[in-house]
Amino acid sequence: MRVTDGMRYTMATQNLSALSSRQLSVAQQAQTGLRVNAPSDDPIAAAQLARLASVQTQISARQSTISSVRGDAELSESSLQEASDLMARAKELATQGANGSLDSSDRAIIATQVKDILDQLVALGNTKGSTGYLFGGTQTGAAPFSATGAFSGDDGQHVVDIGNSTPTAVNSSGAQAFTAAGGRDVFGDVNALYTALSNNDTAGITASLTNLDTSRAQISQAEANAGTIINKLDASTSVLSAASLDSQQQSQTLGAVDAASAYSNLTALNNALTRSASVAQQILSVESFKSS
Amino acid sequence: MSLLNTARDALAAQSYGLDVTGQNISNVNTPGYVRRSPILETQALGTATTGSVKIGGLQRATDVYTEAATYTANGSAAAANTRDQSLASVESLFNDTSGQGLASSLGNVFSSFSALAANPTDATTRANVLSAADAFSQRVNQTANSLAQTSNDLLKQGQETVSEINQRATDIAKLNSQIQQAQAQGNDASDLLDQRDAKLSDLSSLVDVHTYTDNQGNLVVQASGATIVNGSTVSALSVGLAADGSMQILSNQPSPGSDVTQYLTGGSLAGIKQARDGDIASVSAQLDQFAFDVASAVNTQHAAGYGSDGSTGNNLFDIPPTATGAARAISLSADVAGHPERVAAASSAATTPGGSDNAAALSGLSTQTIASGNTETASDAYGDLVGNVGELRASSQRNVTTQTAVQQQAQTMQQSLSGVSLDDEMVALTKYQNAYGAASKVLNTVDQMMSDLMNAVGR
Repeated sequence: MRVTDGMRYTMATQNLSALSSRQLSVAQQAQTGLRVNAPSDDPIAAAQLARLASVQTQISARQSTISSVRGDAELSESSLQEASDLMARAKELATQGANGSLDSSDRAIIATQVKDILDQLVALGNTKGSTGYLFGGTQTGAAPFSATGAFSGDDGQHVVDIGNSTPTAVNSSGAQAFTAAGGRDVFGDVNALYTALSNNDTAGITASLTNLDTSRAQISQAEANAGTIINKLDASTSVLSAASLDSQQQSQTLGAVDAASAYSNLTALNNALTRSASVAQQILSVESFKSS
Repeated sequence: MSLLNTARDALAAQSYGLDVTGQNISNVNTPGYVRRSPILETQALGTATTGSVKIGGLQRATDVYTEAATYTANGSAAAANTRDQSLASVESLFNDTSGQGLASSLGNVFSSFSALAANPTDATTRANVLSAADAFSQRVNQTANSLAQTSNDLLKQGQETVSEINQRATDIAKLNSQIQQAQAQGNDASDLLDQRDAKLSDLSSLVDVHTYTDNQGNLVVQASGATIVNGSTVSALSVGLAADGSMQILSNQPSPGSDVTQYLTGGSLAGIKQARDGDIASVSAQLDQFAFDVASAVNTQHAAGYGSDGSTGNNLFDIPPTATGAARAISLSADVAGHPERVAAASSAATTPGGSDNAAALSGLSTQTIASGNTETASDAYGDLVGNVGELRASSQRNVTTQTAVQQQAQTMQQSLSGVSLDDEMVALTKYQNAYGAASKVLNTVDQMMSDLMNAVGR
């Protein structure tokens, strides 16, 4: 092929600029630590990275959901436990009141204690958490139990999305724990005991013993359910952390550049650029006949 | 004495050779200069068998095939480069590697639903749903508007390119008539031909160019399949808009307003056309569909729920009835804007304010196949969009590399044929110098012979 001077210059320019542009992209990789700096660097990985990014967002959204509802779930559990303890105390008082050796004034004293228990139970039923009244179902805005224990809430669930196939209920039902919807009207039972004690009605007191047991079992069942909810939240937390770690690792594998290879690539290209520049200098300084 | 004439012609011819060599050397770095060589022919003197040399003019070292190959290569490379420049700006719109893109604002919408389910009675959580939805709408708007802006800019660029093409065509037509005039007067037209080739080469970067000489000796230039120059006549191209908004290239040939868009194959005009009506149009349509799918699915679920004020049937987003233009039009719905209490967390009026079924269902949409004809999740659809944009740009970059290599190859071929090599010229210089010296020697010999003759006769 006939070689002209223009060809020499063009070749030198083209080769140098091609090397420079490769050097620039490798330098960017080495500096950012990212292999995929733009979607075109690796379209498939870029699409995958976009998906992984939204998986990450989803995971952290669920994690924060869990941490925000877990407090209320714990509060529900401990409130129900206290309620259960109070029922045990009510049963003791009932057993005491059923004793035939007591007279009406003794029973009146016991009745006062039962009244206190009733008040405390109502207070527990009206426990407020971060999202409102815990035992009112979906009626979280108003106290679900009146002073006499009349229920104005509902049996609705507070459901959240924590990655299970269906939304997960995270509230404990006050209706199931305290009202006739769960079997026994707890406040009614305690109230019956109070009335029987106040009226010195031994038969009434004895009759309430079984009901108090059933009521207590009902509250304990609700407490156990609350424990199950907390366990579920904890299980989801560990699943989500594993998933989060996994997606982070995937992102790393897809998007990050190996530091050592990036650096060695950069060094190789720097050397190539230096060599190419020196070759260009030599080609362009061929003197041919110019000195003759 | 014919030898005297021979010597005279030889001196003239060799000195012409030196002139041409000198011209070549002085133009070694002139763009568009085509190396010349002198045409030397033998010349018979009368009927004698001995003769001398004749200057037959100049020859430009060029051929039609190489020129045509260069034009095609220029056109393809310019098309690839122009397209790639546009795609670079499109790609930057979908570059989520910094984590502040559309993907994260979509993620925030679903996160806000999730937080709403966790705490449906909190006013801040409700307000966050609205601001996340608003931010998502605006992010989609910005992306779609930038695409539309790029598309508009490309149309303007197309119009400018076409007026540049017309300008070049006018120049070429003028040169055509000057060349014809020069040749008719028997003058050398090499410089004019160089200029015309340079204009044609410029033109070939703007649009695909084909040239031929018709049977009247006129140079005919065709661009995008339409004749734009015939000898000294120019037929201008123009840009129009088709009913679907795509860019049209119109010619006056064969009749005014003839659509020749389909014949456009090269030059930056073809790159503009492909970027605007191919790449950007498809990305816009995909973005529209994505925004429409996400907004429709969210709206359906949201409208089914109840706000804490008991209202229902409210949309979260306002979108047009079809996907077309959805990305530019999407906004936070007037139903809920400024009314956080209307955010529908509960699934029935009775379960307000603590009911969160609907919020959980909204959050659950993030893992449901609500996009692309209910075949994939919203984030998968967005991933596809990013992947597609990346693949468009990557293939365009590969195309640039290939076409640049082809163009370099063609230019090398053309340079090899038409370029000036100082080595060659140095050899030619020596050649003509030696021949000039030898011709002087012939003249000297004739002179010697004449003087010998005179001396002999005069004695």
